[in-house]
Amino acid sequence: MKKNADAVVIGGGVIGTSIAYYLSKKGIGVILLEKDDLASGSSGACDIDIILQSKNPGIHLQLAMESAKMYETLADELDFDIEYNATGGMILIENEDQLKVMKDFVRRQKDIGLQVELLSLKEASKIQPGLSPHLVGATYSLQDAHVNPMRLCFAFSRAAKRLGAKVYLGTSVLDIRAENGKVKSVITNRGEIETNIVINAAGVYAPFIGEMAGLSLPIKPRRGQIIVTEPVPKLVMADVLCAKYIAAKYNPNLLKESDNPETRLGVGLSLSQTRDGQILIGATREFAGYNKNTTHEALHAIVNNAVRLVPALRHIHAIRSFAGLRPYTPDGLPLLGPVENVQGFIMAAGHEGDGIALSPVTGRIISDLITEGKTFMDVSKLSPSRFGSLSGNENAM
Amino acid sequence: MKTTDIAVIGAGPAGLSCAVEAAKAGAKVTVLDENLKPGGQLFKQIHKFFGSREHRAGTRGFRIGRQLLEETEKLGVEVLLDAAVYGIYEDRLIAFITDGKDHTLKAEKIVMATGASENALAFPGCTLPGVMGAGAAQTMINVNRVLPGQKIAMVGSGNVGLIVSYQLMQAGADVVALIEAAPKIGGYGVHASKIRRAGVPIYISTTIKEVAGKEKVEEVITVELDEKWQQVKGTEKQFDADTVCLAVGLSPLTELAWMAGCEFTFIPALGGHVPIHNRNMETTLKGIYVAGDITGVEEASSAMEEGRLAGVACAESLGYYDEEQALELKNQIWDRLDALRTGPFGEGRFTAKLKQISARRQLA
Repeated sequence: MKKNADAVVIGGGVIGTSIAYYLSKKGIGVILLEKDDLASGSSGACDIDIILQSKNPGIHLQLAMESAKMYETLADELDFDIEYNATGGMILIENEDQLKVMKDFVRRQKDIGLQVELLSLKEASKIQPGLSPHLVGATYSLQDAHVNPMRLCFAFSRAAKRLGAKVYLGTSVLDIRAENGKVKSVITNRGEIETNIVINAAGVYAPFIGEMAGLSLPIKPRRGQIIVTEPVPKLVMADVLCAKYIAAKYNPNLLKESDNPETRLGVGLSLSQTRDGQILIGATREFAGYNKNTTHEALHAIVNNAVRLVPALRHIHAIRSFAGLRPYTPDGLPLLGPVENVQGFIMAAGHEGDGIALSPVTGRIISDLITEGKTFMDVSKLSPSRFGSLSGNENAM
Repeated sequence: MKTTDIAVIGAGPAGLSCAVEAAKAGAKVTVLDENLKPGGQLFKQIHKFFGSREHRAGTRGFRIGRQLLEETEKLGVEVLLDAAVYGIYEDRLIAFITDGKDHTLKAEKIVMATGASENALAFPGCTLPGVMGAGAAQTMINVNRVLPGQKIAMVGSGNVGLIVSYQLMQAGADVVALIEAAPKIGGYGVHASKIRRAGVPIYISTTIKEVAGKEKVEEVITVELDEKWQQVKGTEKQFDADTVCLAVGLSPLTELAWMAGCEFTFIPALGGHVPIHNRNMETTLKGIYVAGDITGVEEASSAMEEGRLAGVACAESLGYYDEEQALELKNQIWDRLDALRTGPFGEGRFTAKLKQISARRQLA
């Protein structure tokens, strides 16, 4: 096969399918390449939260808020049920140290325009019953929501195809050909595709694609383990997180003070209930290479943490567990935009645990950058060049 | 943390035979089973086994079960009951629930002998109380001494359908019809003749069209099938029945093997996706073995031989047998296994097992 496309998107997760859709909407001829199936990687092994509150007040939160706005009408636009639900979200606060950090966090988030408030335990318990009496309060935002990431990938892909995009599943990228520093074609196991634009949306596998273009990308897999319960009547009213890991970002001593496995494995509560009634209980943040196994130690730590914070979970049966790999970057922000060294090579990866929340806005930004050279907000902070020259191994992790 | 040489998951014929063989060699063996009693399906098998003398032909299943239990006890095998294994993690860490609490067991070798489960069949009314697996009905009459109903319609004429029909009649029920979708009877002629002589009508090229009843099964409507397995209108028959038993095959219980990360191959003759193993019953994961129906649905006799094979192989790799001793024992077992896999009912399985083992070689 000898084919050509205006742009080739690599990766069939929530980022790649979103980009394929927004590019197609602008009349760009897109071919999306996915080595396995839609949502077969991290987008099919994560929770369902679209959380704004957890985002760092700054560009991270701005991105998430723009994305959240797009989500409100996305199901209609894509003409597909993506199980979007504006449930609201809450972050549980366990002690005075965390409270201090969260107060500051909330103040700065409000400055950016997020509707978020600090609740007493009594007020929080009215919204979310079953909380532990040892909690000192919670933050709460009505802007947090849910979506089914697998349906989201499918919806974006279907809508893109309707607009003329081609989606090739089971198609691996073997090499990227460049001439005079410009992208010329993509070699796949099913033939060559001529193109001047390649978008690397391969998530945790983005470094392998980068390597083909001579780039060393600062992205590495961070494992998140999640437990699934039996379906139960509505119990988790909102997305429920705990302040531990947010607090730890601003006060690393909170992490250091403990040597228990929960801390070592980066366990932070993430609770949400699917439309079918199953509760997803997460999660860990571990560096374990590309190993996608679950571990007994981590599952235990997740359960202990969850039951300590929300004792109402104690009598619900866990029926499954899984792990997914989050594309981690050193500064917690994705790499969005062109790279300096190879013209036509665009990065769109490294969202770590925020890929679901940032999926629509990422698609919009990348399609804007490709078609107009600019977008609606200043995204220079997300440019891959913030890590310096990416050629060779200078920035190898 | 609790540790053992060899952990065997499943205390059925394969698991117990494996435990006995490994313990005989001197290994410390722990058997885990989610049930409250060991023995798997052996204790409901009140019929005599087929095969040659080495295969305990002529001995009834439950007596074999009793004998295996006695041997495990004599050899000091630890049998943990009410122990539902829910996961096999890195470095052969087994996690299980007993009495609602989480436990772990670290083993040098793991043998998964988890057996098989009965297949279901979908038709209008299939969720009505009174529709059950034939194996479940067999457990009710032979182990719990409870008659599931008075008027039974049996679906499937393999050996399970034939034997359970006969045992239901022995227990006092009436088998109003035995229905087989294929154009000929699936099981041994000797079993079929026995129930036919007892007056059970056998309908071939026939399936269930629907089961009706207010709160439970009250009547069964059957319909004939043409050579393309399509229902032939106007051939419906009505039977008064209070129970429908489904004897439509078994599927290997492979969840743990999937979770552990074993490589699989698809062999319909063995019940679908089955873990690939070598001639030592070792899967594609080092130190993790399989035996019995999990490797492909066969009979208790072959399950026991596979269990012994895994037991000898585990004992050998732990140093309890030298290579020569082990080879002799394994060859004897393979001879008996090959003998079990002959004749019109065994040939297909023989070929299928060859395929399963060669899949392993191709991987290597």
